[in-house]
Amino acid sequence: MHKNWKGYAFISPWLFGFVVFTAVPFVASVMLSFTQYDILSSPAWVGLDNYQKLFREDPLFWKSLGLTIQYALLAVPLGIVAGVSLALLLNLNLRGMSVYRTLFFLPSIVPVVATSVVFVWVLNPQIGLVNGILARFGITGPAWLQDTRWAFWSLVFMSLWAVGGSMIIYLAGLKDIPGTLYEAALIDGANVWQRTRHITLPMITPVIFFNLVMGIIGSFQYFTQAYVMTQGGPDDSTQFYALYLFTRAWRYLDMGYASAMAWTLFVIVMALTALIFRTHRRWVHYGN
Amino acid sequence: MNESEARPKSGANRVLLWVPLPLVAAALLLVLALPGAPPQRYPDRIPVRFWHMWTAEWKAVVDRIVDRFNESQEVYEVIPLSIPATGSDAKFLLAVAGGDPPDAMSLWEQVIPKWAERGVLQPLEPLMNPEQWEQFQRTTYPAALRIGMYKGRLYGVTTGIDIAACFVRLDDLREAGLDPRNFPETMEELVAWGGKLNKFAPDGSLMRIGFLPTSLGGFALEQYAPVFGGGFYDWSRGEMTINTPENLRALSFLAEQRRSLGFDKVLRFESGLALGTSNVQWPFISDAYSITVDCQWRVEQLAKFAPGLEYATFPVPPPAGGRKHAGWANGNFIVIPTGAKQAKGAWEFIKFWAGIEAPERAAEFYTWGGWLPMNAAIANAPAFREYLRANPCFRTFLDVLPSENLQPTPPVTYQTFLTDRIRQAVEAAQRGILSPKASLDRLEEAIQREIAMKKRP
Repeated sequence: MHKNWKGYAFISPWLFGFVVFTAVPFVASVMLSFTQYDILSSPAWVGLDNYQKLFREDPLFWKSLGLTIQYALLAVPLGIVAGVSLALLLNLNLRGMSVYRTLFFLPSIVPVVATSVVFVWVLNPQIGLVNGILARFGITGPAWLQDTRWAFWSLVFMSLWAVGGSMIIYLAGLKDIPGTLYEAALIDGANVWQRTRHITLPMITPVIFFNLVMGIIGSFQYFTQAYVMTQGGPDDSTQFYALYLFTRAWRYLDMGYASAMAWTLFVIVMALTALIFRTHRRWVHYGN
Repeated sequence: MNESEARPKSGANRVLLWVPLPLVAAALLLVLALPGAPPQRYPDRIPVRFWHMWTAEWKAVVDRIVDRFNESQEVYEVIPLSIPATGSDAKFLLAVAGGDPPDAMSLWEQVIPKWAERGVLQPLEPLMNPEQWEQFQRTTYPAALRIGMYKGRLYGVTTGIDIAACFVRLDDLREAGLDPRNFPETMEELVAWGGKLNKFAPDGSLMRIGFLPTSLGGFALEQYAPVFGGGFYDWSRGEMTINTPENLRALSFLAEQRRSLGFDKVLRFESGLALGTSNVQWPFISDAYSITVDCQWRVEQLAKFAPGLEYATFPVPPPAGGRKHAGWANGNFIVIPTGAKQAKGAWEFIKFWAGIEAPERAAEFYTWGGWLPMNAAIANAPAFREYLRANPCFRTFLDVLPSENLQPTPPVTYQTFLTDRIRQAVEAAQRGILSPKASLDRLEEAIQREIAMKKRP
């Protein structure tokens, strides 16, 4: 510590920010989850009441949790398949490949709010780009974000828009695979599918593992798009967990209840992450 | 990597390490150079800090009122601060919790019951003598009074009331062969007119809607329930009234009107419109609707953005068994927080703006903003009468304003939750997800659950 004081001095702004804005609220939220607290008056201890109400009396809690799990189950695998597929295609030795890579990566650096606002118009049932294209083929597109049957799916499909972020990580993983493995496979007469199935995919499983964990955590925190595009509607069909938590905390000022929701979410995410970590030895290959 | 590699190899590298320093210093200077709170123009006076949420052309109006007040004063100086409307309530609460609240704040959010219940707001009637308080209650329009009251005490003075009436395009009426001088007096008649004014494209899609109850910023049921004889609060008994036959009739009406035109057709038609709330994009201007129900501020906007448009206004007509001059009311009001350092100065400013002591002077302020006044004395002042001559369509709102049938959002501590769930109930009924009855049942359940949840130990 004494030896490294300069280093600590340099990171002290971050340390300060972490303690004040993350660590302290983190611990405080545990306490608040056992209280009724609305900012306006001091917290009143209610024990496990918030948790009981969450699990037994609040149908919207279960609905939002169900929607979020459904989203994670759909969007995360879809993102992995799309990301890996794109990375495989963009790993080919073709002319102008760097241009394609840039094009596919570009959407992921556009701020989420800007993307969401644009997609509100892209998915407009009357004057939107998607329904305009469908109309050219004689198809009347759905009302997307304004239809209870389609709003959720619209957000799932939209998640693919930013797949460039994970694609670039898969691409880096692909570049790391030693060429000698492919040479050996070629000598053994392996075709493209066999090389992909038995060399490429196993070799990038650490990257898939990383994206899976991050994807699941991200899915359970899914908020911005729903907040900007649908505000949870229509008829709560896009009322994701984080959005409901935010509404409870900042719209209804139920800070205690929202803290209980946050800790429930934390436990769920930790449990899922632990589960994935437990299974990863069976399917993740580190090459050694 | 060995030690020699880790160490900077040249003077150039050392110089590079120092490059960020001037940048950081410049950023710091920039932050310090940013304008802080506006300086006092009258340093010898007592400052009264006033927060509001008005922006753009509205902010200019507020600044003018503040200037007038400051010119009229020798003791106080009001220092206005416009804060973004989004999250303004949270900012206010944090300022109160932090012990440094403004002295007054102008709002239109539904916060009075909750904040009053938690002791965040000061009751205002102690700032009046008994005669003034009695006169205030007697002369203030019922809707304006209801907006500012909670449990028999005054927490906000309404400086502008928002109520709705029908806007009708006279060119469309002539085109459909309807009399542009006599307007429908019953809801049934209004719906029949709407049917004659609808316009369809050859493929059956909507080109113009004659009349349709629009969402009205998400307060459609709050507007139509009183028109159908219902409402969400019994003001005489102080009780919530959710699942009543009148409210059911209103919700059924909202659902049926959309269904009769085709829910999907209407949805597509409306999604193609720029549903701007405060500008030239209002679909009534582009003839997307022949008759629509909207608030009084549209009169000012039509004068500004569509001065040549031939239109008229008339009160929302009641159905058989309904109530005349009924609907939802909301307003802009000024509150004084607990812990305000200059509550007396803030009260002086509130009186000045609202026109509690000098209605004739304040009448001019109401005309600047196109706001509805809080009492008849202001409405009858020369400045306001002049405004009515220039904007005759405003008179409809003034005629409706004294009505007891105008109902603000119920004064309960869970107002935000209530409006969210009412909106959802309308959506479910209009989309056919639930029947109007089932939708009201679900609303009632949700409200009861919320009340139970909010009970403090």
